[in-house]
Amino acid sequence: MNESRMPAIGIPRAMLYYRYGALWEQFLQALGVSFQLSPPSSRGILETGTRLAPDESCLSLKMFMGHVDTLVGRCERILIPRYSNYGYTELFCTRYEGLYDQARNIFRSSGQRFITCNIDAQNGSPEAKAFELFGVELGFSARQSRRAWQEASKALKQKQKAEEQSQKELAAKPGMKVLIAGHSYILSDPYLGMPILDCLVSSGAVTLRADALESETARKACAKFSPTCRWIVSEEIVGGVLHWKEKADGIILVSAFPCGPDSMTNELLIRRLKGMPILPLVLDTQSGMAGVETRIESFLDIIRFQRGDMV
Amino acid sequence: MSKLNAFLGIDVGSISTKAVILDEGNAILAQEYIWTEGNPIGAVKKLLGLLEKQFDPESWQIVGVGATGSARRLVGSIVGATVVKNEITAHAVGTTTFHPDVRTILEIGGQDSKIILVENGIAVDYAMNTLCAAGTGAFLSSQARRLGIEVEEMGQYALRSTHPTMIAARCTVFAESDLVHKIQMGHPREDIIAGVCRAVASNYINNVGKGKKICSPVVFQGGVSKNVGVVRAFEDLLGCPVIVDDNGHLMGATGAAILARRSLKRTQFDFSVENMEFVTRERNCGGCSNNCEVICVYRNGRLIDFWGNRCERGAARTDETPHP
Repeated sequence: MNESRMPAIGIPRAMLYYRYGALWEQFLQALGVSFQLSPPSSRGILETGTRLAPDESCLSLKMFMGHVDTLVGRCERILIPRYSNYGYTELFCTRYEGLYDQARNIFRSSGQRFITCNIDAQNGSPEAKAFELFGVELGFSARQSRRAWQEASKALKQKQKAEEQSQKELAAKPGMKVLIAGHSYILSDPYLGMPILDCLVSSGAVTLRADALESETARKACAKFSPTCRWIVSEEIVGGVLHWKEKADGIILVSAFPCGPDSMTNELLIRRLKGMPILPLVLDTQSGMAGVETRIESFLDIIRFQRGDMV
Repeated sequence: MSKLNAFLGIDVGSISTKAVILDEGNAILAQEYIWTEGNPIGAVKKLLGLLEKQFDPESWQIVGVGATGSARRLVGSIVGATVVKNEITAHAVGTTTFHPDVRTILEIGGQDSKIILVENGIAVDYAMNTLCAAGTGAFLSSQARRLGIEVEEMGQYALRSTHPTMIAARCTVFAESDLVHKIQMGHPREDIIAGVCRAVASNYINNVGKGKKICSPVVFQGGVSKNVGVVRAFEDLLGCPVIVDDNGHLMGATGAAILARRSLKRTQFDFSVENMEFVTRERNCGGCSNNCEVICVYRNGRLIDFWGNRCERGAARTDETPHP
């Protein structure tokens, strides 16, 4: 294949893509850089990822490596932003911090080139600076890059606001409502989380998502609840749960095995939110949906019993 | 004279298959309990044969069929169930019908364990073990085999012990190595068996029952409730009496029958199912890289149901045959 025909950038459709992808895409678009996404998740991608990733790592990281694999040889450089922190108290899970280096190491013999965008405010590279350097590395001026980042972060904020708005409309609908909380990259993943959402919808539940909330609002809500919640994404999830819970009849906490941050926040939510049915669901590489379906079905029955609309 | 309505409930678990036939007033007309033996279809056919002998078709007609248990989908499509319900709901409905004042239902089966909390006769919360089968009937069976006794005898052994051995109960694999160590150290067999029973109860309270307020009256059911050693251990740990219903093993099936009665769907159930030939076939769709495992069920060579496909591409065609 002629190398010049390949897109300049490949983006793995996994992990933080589901939370910050709009930012990355808009940034590249503003600069006129061609990019391509990896295909939607599937069992095949997860199987490849499981073979490639360290076996003790979380399901999402395995899925991520599978996505990287589909891009190898199909783009000039694979973009893996390194999200470390926004400051001394605003941290990201170490998984995201290590993704770029881990992927480069796993695919070291493939000849594939990688590029990162290093968001590490503690070491002099806050988000604005990180994207500026990223743009420069792509061959643009610092000024062009800064402008592209400004446009992109506006786009991300708008996207989150729009999601919040459409959920507000959903929450006003009548009927049984279930709030589903978890990392966006689990809930929105067509192989991992979507079957759960589909199962809820086909059972007649209105599904609200904790991550459909603008980041700042969510983190403020979380700070009141637990001032020591460690990771930014956990704060967003906890804050989202607190924000939406009044509208819901029950909460489902979805996490992938073994997620360290979730093991803390889910326990926190279960202990603190008394008087509300909560179902923790842990996903792993099992391909059968039977265990998950049984749990969701009976959870909805419990809610129906409480609402008094059980036959 | 027109026949009276009856309702069949079938509960197919990993280890045992249960069924009841109830009348409109929840009185049991027929009941049966057999081993699944890894063959849910065969078990159900055998079960229906046994039920038919207890059933009087002159005065009763089965108009509703409920299926529950881990094989509910499969069995539901074979018997033409009017209601297919998960085992938690079925157990909650069955138990609250016979014990209206119950507050906590403990259930330990062959592969899974659950806790259901009830307030004013309504299930308000539940929890289930994670996908790991630690501390369930399967664990007791394998430990009984290791100790060279029948699993049914374990309870009696346990009751003779005055000093149950401490067994680490966090995980079946750890529990097993701890148990072997204690055997080799010379702990008496009764104490070890009592320790295993205790381990099952404390493991349950610390995992499935974690953070749940267990209020009396407590009803304990599922296959493991037949083990008096575990019942005793629960009473000690919870500090309250634990009720084991003689029909505790039938609660899931009873709940399924009651749900069939409450639902408005009606059928004319026919015992001839037991003479039909059912075949299941698993095929990998191959339409995309999800490669879904689609299960197809055939009655006398004709497709009657399928599941497991994530999208339309995996849908089975009615002209597919069981033997490709």
